[in-house]
Amino acid sequence: MVYHDLMLQSKSSLSETQLDLVYGALSNSTRRSLLVRLTEGDAFITELAAPFKMSLPAVSKHLGVLEDAGLITRKREGKSRRCALLVSVLDDAESWIAARRVFWTENFESLAAFVERERDDADAQDPA
Amino acid sequence: VTDEQVVPDLVVTRRFSVLPDEMFDAWTNPEKLREWWGPPGVKCTHAEVNLRVGGNFRLANLLPDGNTLWIGGTYEEVDAPRRLKYSWHIEPAHDLDAERVTVDFFAREGGTEVVVTHTAIDSVERFNAHQHGWVGCLDELADLFG
Repeated sequence: MVYHDLMLQSKSSLSETQLDLVYGALSNSTRRSLLVRLTEGDAFITELAAPFKMSLPAVSKHLGVLEDAGLITRKREGKSRRCALLVSVLDDAESWIAARRVFWTENFESLAAFVERERDDADAQDPA
Repeated sequence: VTDEQVVPDLVVTRRFSVLPDEMFDAWTNPEKLREWWGPPGVKCTHAEVNLRVGGNFRLANLLPDGNTLWIGGTYEEVDAPRRLKYSWHIEPAHDLDAERVTVDFFAREGGTEVVVTHTAIDSVERFNAHQHGWVGCLDELADLFG
């Protein structure tokens, strides 16, 4: 049952706290730019920092926020760390929305059927 | 998405052929709710509505597998026949639940346009603190991800 599964699964797959983290992480233009860059492929922090007029530690801090939200991973390679995008959290956030969209769209179907039934009943009782 | 833009999490709209008074009644009258609430295949076996700000509602959703899912919440705005706003949870409720549903009933020629806005944000303050809607950004990112 789509309705049951979606409502329950989506509820458990991403907690409100995680949603806050994702939401908070995406609320900053630098972090959004970093994510956009990572959609093109993995990158070292120095590469990621290059387009920005800010220090490496500042960029690193933004990457930390993205990592805490589960949006990226950072793996040490030699003296630097390679960053990679994790899309599963974004997928979860989207499924949260999708579940509710399905729910309300289907509910509207039931409601439309109901009001049409009521209207037809009223018409039948009052042919004038 | 600009930093100032506030994008609601989810908006679903549908136009109905009856007047706002009737639509509002269908949405808040327990007897009517029992008749229509729930997607196809789901039966509303019980509806409780205490229609006032601070009042609660509870809806039993009998699923095809025989289980009952309870949906409940508390009214935060009751403006008949124009608008309802309430908190929303699937029982058991948790302290962290922050979902909100706003239902707007707009009079349109020959009927009503119903707009459901479902968000996970618990206050305007939090919205403003974040200064933008995350759905818009997700959409934007989804486009980039392809």
